[in-house]
Amino acid sequence: MVLLIRVSGGDLLDGGVHVDDDADLDTRWCCEVGAAVYPFHHGLKSPISRLSISWSRGNSLRVSVFAAPSSVESVEDDAGGTVVEVKLGGGDGEISDAHWRRIAYGSVSPFALLQSRKNAISSLSKMSMNSSPYDADWWDYIMEYSKDINALLGSQKPASVPVIDDPKSVIVKGEEPTNLKAAWELLEMFYAEKPSHLCLPERLVDWLADFDSLFSGTHPTVHSKLVDFQKELVNLQVVEDNPKYWEVMSSALAVGWLDIVVKMLRLHGSYQLDQLSNRETENGLVEAVAVLISKMPRMRLDQEAGKLGECFKAKPDFVKAREKWRAQINKLDSSAFWFQCAHLQTREGLRSMLQIMLGNANSLCSATCHWIELYISHLLYIRPLTVGLESMYSLAQKSIQLKPMASAHRLMGLIIGILGENTEVVLAECLKGFGPWMVVHAIELLTAGSDHAEMLLLEERPNLGGINIEELHRLVYAQVLSSHPLTWQIAPIYLISCMKHGMVLLQILLSKQPVQHNQLLLKSIEICRLYELHSITANIMKIAGVHHWKHGRKGSGVFWLQQARDEYRLNRIAQQLFDSVGKTISDESFKQWEGLIQLLGSDSKTAGGLEFLHKYRDFKKSLQHVFDGKTTDAARRAVESLISLMKNPSTPQRFYLPLLYDSLKLLNWKDRPLLNVSQTNLLLTKLQDLSLARLRPDFIESELPPQALNSVRLALATNLGRAILEE
Amino acid sequence: MAFAAPETPSRVHRIPQSKYIDAVRWLSPVSALDRFAAVAYYDTDTNSPSIEIICVDPNPQGSSPTLTPQSSWTPPSRISSLKTAHSTHQPILAAATFSGSIHILAPDLINGGTVESEATVSELGFHSGPVSAVDLREGGTECVSVGEDGRVNLVSFVGDSSNLNYRRIFDANGLVGYTAVKWASPSEFATGGYGFGLQWWDQRRPGGPVSQFKGNWCQGKTSGIVHSIDIHPSRKHTCLAGGSSGTVFAWDLRAQQQPIVLSGAGTGEAPISLLSESEVWEVQYDCYTRSSNIGNITSTRILPIMICSEDGILAVIEQGEEPLELLAEPCAINSFDIDQQNPSDVICSLEWESIAILTRS
Repeated sequence: MVLLIRVSGGDLLDGGVHVDDDADLDTRWCCEVGAAVYPFHHGLKSPISRLSISWSRGNSLRVSVFAAPSSVESVEDDAGGTVVEVKLGGGDGEISDAHWRRIAYGSVSPFALLQSRKNAISSLSKMSMNSSPYDADWWDYIMEYSKDINALLGSQKPASVPVIDDPKSVIVKGEEPTNLKAAWELLEMFYAEKPSHLCLPERLVDWLADFDSLFSGTHPTVHSKLVDFQKELVNLQVVEDNPKYWEVMSSALAVGWLDIVVKMLRLHGSYQLDQLSNRETENGLVEAVAVLISKMPRMRLDQEAGKLGECFKAKPDFVKAREKWRAQINKLDSSAFWFQCAHLQTREGLRSMLQIMLGNANSLCSATCHWIELYISHLLYIRPLTVGLESMYSLAQKSIQLKPMASAHRLMGLIIGILGENTEVVLAECLKGFGPWMVVHAIELLTAGSDHAEMLLLEERPNLGGINIEELHRLVYAQVLSSHPLTWQIAPIYLISCMKHGMVLLQILLSKQPVQHNQLLLKSIEICRLYELHSITANIMKIAGVHHWKHGRKGSGVFWLQQARDEYRLNRIAQQLFDSVGKTISDESFKQWEGLIQLLGSDSKTAGGLEFLHKYRDFKKSLQHVFDGKTTDAARRAVESLISLMKNPSTPQRFYLPLLYDSLKLLNWKDRPLLNVSQTNLLLTKLQDLSLARLRPDFIESELPPQALNSVRLALATNLGRAILEE
Repeated sequence: MAFAAPETPSRVHRIPQSKYIDAVRWLSPVSALDRFAAVAYYDTDTNSPSIEIICVDPNPQGSSPTLTPQSSWTPPSRISSLKTAHSTHQPILAAATFSGSIHILAPDLINGGTVESEATVSELGFHSGPVSAVDLREGGTECVSVGEDGRVNLVSFVGDSSNLNYRRIFDANGLVGYTAVKWASPSEFATGGYGFGLQWWDQRRPGGPVSQFKGNWCQGKTSGIVHSIDIHPSRKHTCLAGGSSGTVFAWDLRAQQQPIVLSGAGTGEAPISLLSESEVWEVQYDCYTRSSNIGNITSTRILPIMICSEDGILAVIEQGEEPLELLAEPCAINSFDIDQQNPSDVICSLEWESIAILTRS
């Protein structure tokens, strides 16, 4: 990839830098190679010395712009550099980023449900060694999945049905159709609705009726003809004199929009009451054609309310009805009434409509605009019983020959791929036209019923690192999801459906999530819990713990390290914590420590080296009691705390002297010695250890008066003497 | 486990927003017809946070509710906590941010919802790092803010002055971090934090918490963080808290170290219903009681509560009864608010950039 950056400064006079000064040149160059220009402003005043470009999150580039080292007279508030994020790619023009995210969220549940059903079926078939793993339920599941996804892509129903029907509004405006929905409906029709293949031609007619407007941007269409005529219609007095009226009606009839045609026919001037008497024959002919159109036999399972035509579910009935209907048209065509019809346009217009209904190939070709419309008209009027993709494909080829594509359209490419039964082409068209979301979700339909496609897509390929095409596309889609701060959470659903690399990538994804804020951190941990990634959980917690610790949030740091059961780091931070303990765990700031010590709990396993703090607090508390009252009981408890502290290996040596110095009062207890011989000996040994430790270079001296050591020694010696005497 | 199914299903409407929702709150209505809510948004495309006042039309011509944005205000960074005061003549919002500032907003709901007066504390040293929680005192002249930095600050504001004064009540120097706060009375409030710890504070006895509820009571089991606290105005001695591992518990100040576990990590005695195993993001007392059995609830019993969780559950828990599941979403429910004037209505923010409005019947 060649990256051409054109930098324009905030203030051109002060020397904004142009990497390429000739704007015309780079635009032309970009057009030739199909590149895009992303202008951005860095707002720096001084000349630029260096640029650094790296990937940011998702589809964004992070461009760091460094200004040249400023000269002496430069203003102080001039920044030395700036970082700009440049978002690449405008995305899909018709679907915004937010809408794509909504689709991504919504498709999680159907996808996950289908995967779990697939797994259930495959484990069932393994158990029973059933010859056919797919039963009737399977098609229901696939259809449910397809309908769920389809519902996400928008509804086709008109927003609101007007209460009073305007006779002059020919086309009803619904929600703007999208290419994505059109593509999904194609896939659904061909791959999910297996049993209704006989009705495929009619399904295609409906499809074109819904989505013909999508081609209007790049091709002339019947829909755009209708829209144009609708605008003119309001100003037309005598509609039947306008040749466009007849042309538009023929076109609409050719693609099977019967209700529109009938509605338009009824606008014919001969229906008006004042003209009915002298245009009786003409009106009779118009009405006869309208009736014939509305009685057209159609091979389809169900008929939407308000749609015209007579439905037949069984082939023989349909064939019989169609023959009868064609005979009626022929009879009308050769009737003598035409000579009595004085209005030339009406006569010609109606007869050309009859030709369309009779399947005159030339009439169909001139009435339709692009090859799909022509194809549909052939399916409707010439070969309504076309069955099988092979014959449908050859018919499509013939239509393309008659009406070559002026420019490619993503839906046309998809249709050709589907009819040609070429799974690779279908996948490539999905990817090229609609992106990774489409591919991942379409593969479920492609593999649903076709063994060939299943073999192609599920075969492990050495050139893909041993994964199959299905997994490849899921991984790609998961990467796209991971790159956005809001959608990364749904990437795991797709990653775990990847057998080979999914789990590893999931672990990497989770390990890379930011830990600064508890909410995000806990969301990551929740995903780890769902997939039982305990080691990742521990790692994330450790990272969070160290992060909080470094930023001075000691309590949070200790909590997360404790949760991770990371004794190593707890011991390390304990050493740092002790540095401040010696100074601050005085009586004044005790309340600050209280919370942390409570957090540590009494369980030594989770506290690591910090267990000492807990005991130290207990000791300090009991010492406090001794100073408040002078009961010997309290003093005894304090001594017990002291001994257990001194015995505990986790007590740092540098605390030996402060501990003993704090407890001088206990050692010099007036009434009787509180420590027995062995206890005193223990303390003396510890004191000995301390003097050895002091020789080491890393020993930290506690801040005590210089005579502290001597007074402790003296007190211990005295106590030893008293204890020996007592025993 | 089986949940009790609601006798009459409630109506739920999910309204996609195309922006992440950090928090939602109902605003107390100024007239019988209009209902307003405050929503803290975060737009990831432009990296910009905003607080919007939206007008909620619950039932326009029998179809799903519509949200109409009235006005918008841009905070310096994302909102970490959003609270409202109800007993004021004009609704007041307190918003805390991740950059450590607090903003008091007073939207004028009569004149198009514009955010009228605005006051801010964002001085250096107010909080270091994010403010994790804020709560407005009823009556709305003071709010308390806490952070993981261990600071507890009291912000007082009077009238229209845009300068807020704050007073440091406590600074734990990061040794303890606080993640939730709630007023109990004009002088008392409760905070929550790590290890399921709760603290009770009384402004009349300064220098630190007057009472601490010992964390780590669920020994042996993984500990967690308190995310949300609620205190019922009629039962100021009971502090309700929700947090990690689906844990909801109450701390009765009269029984100092014995938690009343309502859901989640139990003390190992009676089998406690496990509603959710993940984070309980918010708890609130549910003032919408069916069958007027409020009189039967003795003072030792915990009033019904509503919770929302990371695994997408919105449920009502009553002590000693099966929890009533109101919503089970495929994504997390990050916050919710019960309309105080109209307690059958609940507004929720969902992880997947949408707002759900639930009407119980």
